Amino acid sequence: MSNVEIGLMAFPVLLAIIFLRAPIGLAMLVVGVAGMWIVTGSPNIILSKFKSETFSTFASYSLSIVPIFLLMGHLAGLGGMSQALFKAAEAWLGHRRGGTAMAAVGACAGFGSICGSSVATAATMAQVALPELRRAGYSGGLSTAALAAGGTLGILIPPSVVLVIYATLTETNIAKLFLAAFVPGILAALGYMLVIALYVRIHPHSAGSLPRMPYRERFAALRAVWPVTVIFIAVVGGIYTGIFNPTEGASVGALGTGLVAWAAGGLDWPRLRAALIATASGTAMIFLIVLGAGFFNAFLALTQMPQTVSAWIVAQGFGPWFILACILAIYLVLGCVMDSLSMILLTIPIFFPVMLALDFGLPTEHMAIWFGILVLIVVEVGMITPPVGMNLFVINAIDRTTPMRETYSAVMYFVATDLTRVVILAAFPAITLFLIP
Amino acid sequence: MKNTAYALANIMAMLGGLVLVAIILMTVISVIGRALIPIGLGPITGDFELTELGIAFAIFCFLPLCQLVAGHATVDVFTSGMGARANLVLLALWEVVLTATMIFIAWRLFAGFSGKLGNNETTMLLRVPVWWGYGAALVPAGVGVLVGLWSAYDRVMAALTGKVSRTIEGASH
Repeated sequence: MSNVEIGLMAFPVLLAIIFLRAPIGLAMLVVGVAGMWIVTGSPNIILSKFKSETFSTFASYSLSIVPIFLLMGHLAGLGGMSQALFKAAEAWLGHRRGGTAMAAVGACAGFGSICGSSVATAATMAQVALPELRRAGYSGGLSTAALAAGGTLGILIPPSVVLVIYATLTETNIAKLFLAAFVPGILAALGYMLVIALYVRIHPHSAGSLPRMPYRERFAALRAVWPVTVIFIAVVGGIYTGIFNPTEGASVGALGTGLVAWAAGGLDWPRLRAALIATASGTAMIFLIVLGAGFFNAFLALTQMPQTVSAWIVAQGFGPWFILACILAIYLVLGCVMDSLSMILLTIPIFFPVMLALDFGLPTEHMAIWFGILVLIVVEVGMITPPVGMNLFVINAIDRTTPMRETYSAVMYFVATDLTRVVILAAFPAITLFLIP
Repeated sequence: MKNTAYALANIMAMLGGLVLVAIILMTVISVIGRALIPIGLGPITGDFELTELGIAFAIFCFLPLCQLVAGHATVDVFTSGMGARANLVLLALWEVVLTATMIFIAWRLFAGFSGKLGNNETTMLLRVPVWWGYGAALVPAGVGVLVGLWSAYDRVMAALTGKVSRTIEGASH
C-alpha cells in the first residue's frame, strides 16, 4: 500500500472509531499515531514528537484566546445582560405577531456579540426567554426552535471560537475574519425573524402578542443594554483597529464582563467557581481535539495525501463552484452527527488546499475569509439539524414540556433560511467582503 | 476513591481556572501599561511568555475534570440503538484508551522535562528556564493519570457488573 493510500484509508477507520463513541480528539490522536508508526516503520518519531508537542500545543499564544472567550461567555450570563437584551428587544418587537420570538432571536444576536459559543448562547437566552415565550402564548415548538436557531448566532456574530480555530489553521487574519462575519451574522438574525413572521402566518395558533410599548419605555429598555454595547465595541473594535491583539481583546472583554456581573451583584464565589469549572471542561474538550487533530494532520502531511487529493480533484476539471458546493454539502451531512470544531480541524487541512487551487476571481486572502464564513455557517447548521443538533438538546433539556418532535418540525423552517443564506453568500462574495479593505 | 478522584480533579480545575484569571488580569494590566507609555509606564515584560506558560499549565489542569465528567466530544447517535450494556462496554474501552493516552503523554512530558533540564534553554525575554514550564505541567499531568486510572477502573467495573456509579453529563454532539 502506498503512503497516499494509507492516508486515504485513515479516514474510514477514523470515522468508524468516532461513530463507535470514541472521544473525537482521542480518536484523531490514536489514528494519527498509528498511521505515523505505519508510514515511518518505527515509533521513534512519535516518541520524540510527544516529548515537546503536547506542551507546545497547549502553550499557544494564539489559542489562549479560546479559554478566555469561553470564560467571558460563562460570565456574560451573570450580570443581567441577557435579561436586559431580551427586555429591550421585546419592548421594540413584542407587539408584533411572533414578536416575542423575534425578540428572543434579537437578544441572542446581542448576546452573541459578547459570547463566542453557540451552546452557551442558546442555554443562557433560553433561561431568560423561554418562560416569557410560554407566558405570552407561544407554542413549544416555535419557542424552542427559535432559541436553538438564535443560539447559532453566538458563533456567527463575532467573537467566535470556531473562527479562531479556522484562522490558526489557515493563517488568516482573525480581525478581518471577525469583521467579515458581522454582516452575515446580522443577515442570519433578520432571516430568522422573517421565518418567525412566516411561521406564525402558517400556524396562527403558535403565537401570541403583547400590548404595544410607548417609545419612552422602549428607549429606556434600550439604554439598559449599554454594557453589552461597550464590551462589544471595545473587544471587536479594539482588535480590528489594532489597539490590541485578539488575546488582549478577549482579556479586556472577559474582565469587563466579570466587572459588569460583579457590579450587578451576580458574581459571587460559587458562581465564579461554576463559571471556571464550566470553562475548564469546555477548554479541555477543545484542546484534546486540537492536540489529536495536530497529530492526525501531521500524519496526513507525511503521507502527502492532502496534496495528492487536492491535485487530483483540481485535475478532474470540475468547475470551482461545483467543488465548493460539494465541500459545503459534505459539511452539512457531517454536521448532522459531529460538532463544529472537530469537523473544521479534520477537514480544513484537506479542503483548504483545494480551495487555494481553484479560481473564484478573488485574491487569496479574500477567498480564505469568504470560505471561512461559508464554512462557519454550514457547520453551525449542524447545531440545529436533527438528529444530533447540540442546541436542540440544550434547549430541550431546559424546556421539558415540549416533545423533541415538535422542536424538530419547527426548526426545519430555520434550517431552510440558513441554506438560502449560504447560497446567497456563496453567489455574492461581496456581501461578506465589502467591509474588508 | 470516587470522592478523592473528584476532589483531585476539581482542585486541579480550580487551580487552572485561577491561573487563567491571573493571565487575564496580567494581560489587561499590560495593555493599560502600554497605553500609558506617555506618562512613563509600559507593558509587562514577557507578557506573551507568561501567557504561554500559564495557559499550558491551565490546560493540563483542566484535562482530569473533563475526563471524569465525560466532557469530551463524542458522537453517540450510531451507538444509541445498541443497548445499554454494549454502550457500557464501549465507554469502558475508550476510557481505558484515554487513560493509556494520558499515561503516555505524562511519560513523554517527563522525558521532555528531563531533556530540558539538561540544556539551558530559556524563554526569550524573561530568561525563564523552559524546564520550569514542563515541570509545573507534570503535576496536573500526574494527577490526570491518577484520576484517569480510577475513571477507567470505574467504567470497566460498570461494564462488567452493569451497575453505573456516575451518569454521563456528556458533551455529545
